[in-house]
Amino acid sequence: MMEYTSEGVAMRSQSINNISLMQYIFIIHGTQVGIGILTLPRELTEIAGTDGWISILIGGAFSILVSILITSIMKKHPDKTLYDLLLIYFGSYLGTLVNFIVVLYGALATITVIFTTLFVINVWVLVETPTYLILAGYLIPLFIIGSNGIKALGRYSEITFYFSIWMPILLLFPLKDAHVLNLLPVVKEGWYPIISAVRTTFLSFLGFEMAFFFYPYLTCKQHATKGIIVANLLSLGMFLVITMVSYLFFSPKEITQYEWPTLTLLKVIEFSFLERFEIIYLSFYMYVLSTTWLPYTYVTILGSQAILKKGSHKKHLLIFIFLLLLISIFFQPSYLQIAKLAKTWGSAGYIMGYVFPVLLGFYIILHHFFKTRKSA
Amino acid sequence: MNGRKWLIKNKNKALKEPVHEKAVSSISRDLQINEKELYSLFDEAPDLKVHHIKLNGETNAILTYLEGLTDKKTIQSNILKPLMTKMKSIDQLWSSNVIYSHIICTLSWTEIEAALLEGNCILFVNGEEKAIIIDSQGWPQRSVEEPHSETMLKANHEGFLETASQNIALIRRFLPNRELKIKQYKIGERAKTNIYLIYLRDVTNPIIIEELEQRINSFTVDTLLTTGELEQYIEDATFSPFPQSILTERPDATAMHILEGRVAIIVDRSPRVLITPVNFLTFFQTIDDYSLRWYLAIFVRLLRLLSFFIAVFLPALYIVVIAFHYEVLPMKLILSISESREHVPVSPFLEAILMESTLELLREAGIRLPSNIGQTVSIVGGIVIGQAAVQAGLVSNIMVIVVSLTAIASFIVPVFDMAYSIRLVRFPMMILGWMFGMVGIAMGFMIILAHLVTMESMGTSYGTPLSPMKYSDWKDSVIRSPLRNLKRRQSGPRPIQRNKK
Repeated sequence: MMEYTSEGVAMRSQSINNISLMQYIFIIHGTQVGIGILTLPRELTEIAGTDGWISILIGGAFSILVSILITSIMKKHPDKTLYDLLLIYFGSYLGTLVNFIVVLYGALATITVIFTTLFVINVWVLVETPTYLILAGYLIPLFIIGSNGIKALGRYSEITFYFSIWMPILLLFPLKDAHVLNLLPVVKEGWYPIISAVRTTFLSFLGFEMAFFFYPYLTCKQHATKGIIVANLLSLGMFLVITMVSYLFFSPKEITQYEWPTLTLLKVIEFSFLERFEIIYLSFYMYVLSTTWLPYTYVTILGSQAILKKGSHKKHLLIFIFLLLLISIFFQPSYLQIAKLAKTWGSAGYIMGYVFPVLLGFYIILHHFFKTRKSA
Repeated sequence: MNGRKWLIKNKNKALKEPVHEKAVSSISRDLQINEKELYSLFDEAPDLKVHHIKLNGETNAILTYLEGLTDKKTIQSNILKPLMTKMKSIDQLWSSNVIYSHIICTLSWTEIEAALLEGNCILFVNGEEKAIIIDSQGWPQRSVEEPHSETMLKANHEGFLETASQNIALIRRFLPNRELKIKQYKIGERAKTNIYLIYLRDVTNPIIIEELEQRINSFTVDTLLTTGELEQYIEDATFSPFPQSILTERPDATAMHILEGRVAIIVDRSPRVLITPVNFLTFFQTIDDYSLRWYLAIFVRLLRLLSFFIAVFLPALYIVVIAFHYEVLPMKLILSISESREHVPVSPFLEAILMESTLELLREAGIRLPSNIGQTVSIVGGIVIGQAAVQAGLVSNIMVIVVSLTAIASFIVPVFDMAYSIRLVRFPMMILGWMFGMVGIAMGFMIILAHLVTMESMGTSYGTPLSPMKYSDWKDSVIRSPLRNLKRRQSGPRPIQRNKK
């Protein structure tokens, strides 16, 4: 018997720009696990001591809540990205203005992550290579992935996840010198520092806002909520493992001395045939980081295309790539500037990822309320 | 914009060039006129034989054929003998109870021309406005041999030949099933080449057939000489270093692929059969895997994947470790390496490029030479040059180890098109490693991955089952589980019938 079943239909749609649920999960998870990891243990310890892991749990809960909110907003218009949505709800002038801000946010995120990547490379691995040259190397895969649309991005994020599974596992290596006493007592200074540290975890969890842009391309939308929760949980687990390992390995005072405690953690890993393993680890971590800046680049291009309403996808991408190169030639950030960039992105992300969805949700509810009243 | 317009304009002009075609005249009743026409069509062709015979003792007739393309025995015993001895009346000719071969009546000279060139005999009879094409093909052929480029241990030892009909027969021997369908196309402006698409109708996705049909009809060539040319005309990504279809000489492997829902394309006169659509991992599978014990098969397949990484990244890794991150290695190892590199006058990058190029020189030389000299070359090249170069202090012995390892690893890949690509990709990787160190290798990895993930072959993704990830397909791609568990076909070629039967 021939099987002309639903498989046949799925086959036809394969060449259309769609992503599967797994790819959706891995895009969001990949975006979340970014540069935040490098500094998270230190930032948490500075505020909440070794109770930071509780803050991560709370932050994770928050991000899951917001993710569900975003998904339910997107469910109202399953074929539209945020850019179309804003035009619908705010009209063409105000909508375009907000769209422009979102594009700026995407560009800021891309620039922050890429330049942090380049900075870390310049400090840890390639001390003398000029930044723009390294950037040029990274722009090749950016062009390949970017010009092939969201399908390529989904596949890339997916395969990158599988290729990077070994990395968190290796981070457990320093646990052989773990001191459980470092963690005790739990909640040593009351709940206030823990609550106030939650905000620092927000930057790390940023990435779920990708649902605003990638939800329309998802093939099985009925699982969207489940998918985004899984992505958040995956990231939560990753952050927990890294913070826990640093708490157990370093003494609480020690962590705050390192700019990137996660990288310092790697220095401990050593084999009989390999020393200074962190060089290899870091180089490949830079590859994993690409799943953070690729989606943001995509968001930026999608937005600029939505605003200008002309030019092909590839053209926008090429212009963006050119601008990135130009910036890298004239702007060689110092550590302070990088930190400032990250902070700016943190606050922008706080607004974009947490405040904005809530406001938008309220607005949409009000909008529907008045609309139904008007028609009634 | 203007430039483009100008180009298009020129192109159109080229297309409109008048094509010189001979006025088509019909076959005359007069035998002499026909003979004259024949000689004017094939005026400088000494291999054209024209046989004057008398049918029934009274009617003049001509039997004509191209010597060498026809089988002499067939002509003598199946055509000439019955014509001379058994024929009683002219009418018997058309009802085909005289000639023992397959015959077709024809009225046009173009058909006659094509038939003659394909090795048929033509019989003109005086007083008739039609001619008979008699099947008598028989050109020089070699016998079935073991394919040299794809030797297998346990699979069979037959290889494809240069005649399409025989190749089809070889495939049919493996798949005696009426669902095995064959579509024929003729392409080539100057000389037609027969192309056959072979597939299982109830398994292969009709979209793929449609797509292939469209691509085959989309280009014009003088004539197709090899299957490799066809491959490049119908492939998806022209700029990719990776092959996008498999060329095989093995009928059993072809049958295996057809059973998976792929399409085999036979190009007449070429002993290689093109298989499409394929994905990246297909290049790392052989038919021998299925006759090995399953855990051995898993081991071999993983070994091949490992060899891919070794062949692509090892020389780059050498450059990176020696030139950039020597601190990665333990102290004692660094000392011994630096000792062997002490007298080497060139940088690690140049050293690696030189040695890898030497290897490629040896390989290329080995292909062209007869096999007995080829061995000498490999001995001279491999042992003498390698050993001597180290002793002379031109290269370090670590480099020689790296080069030989990459060479061996690249030869493990079963499809040699893929092996070529891998060897080529290694050079840009070396450059990236030389420029950016370990970061460069990660970058190269990213680029290869991004490329593999975005590429498509006939509308199917090249990266399956790795990305898009399909775990159920892993059973017969990354590993090979016991045969009893392989009940479903791979989803890569998108078969419409998933269950094997």
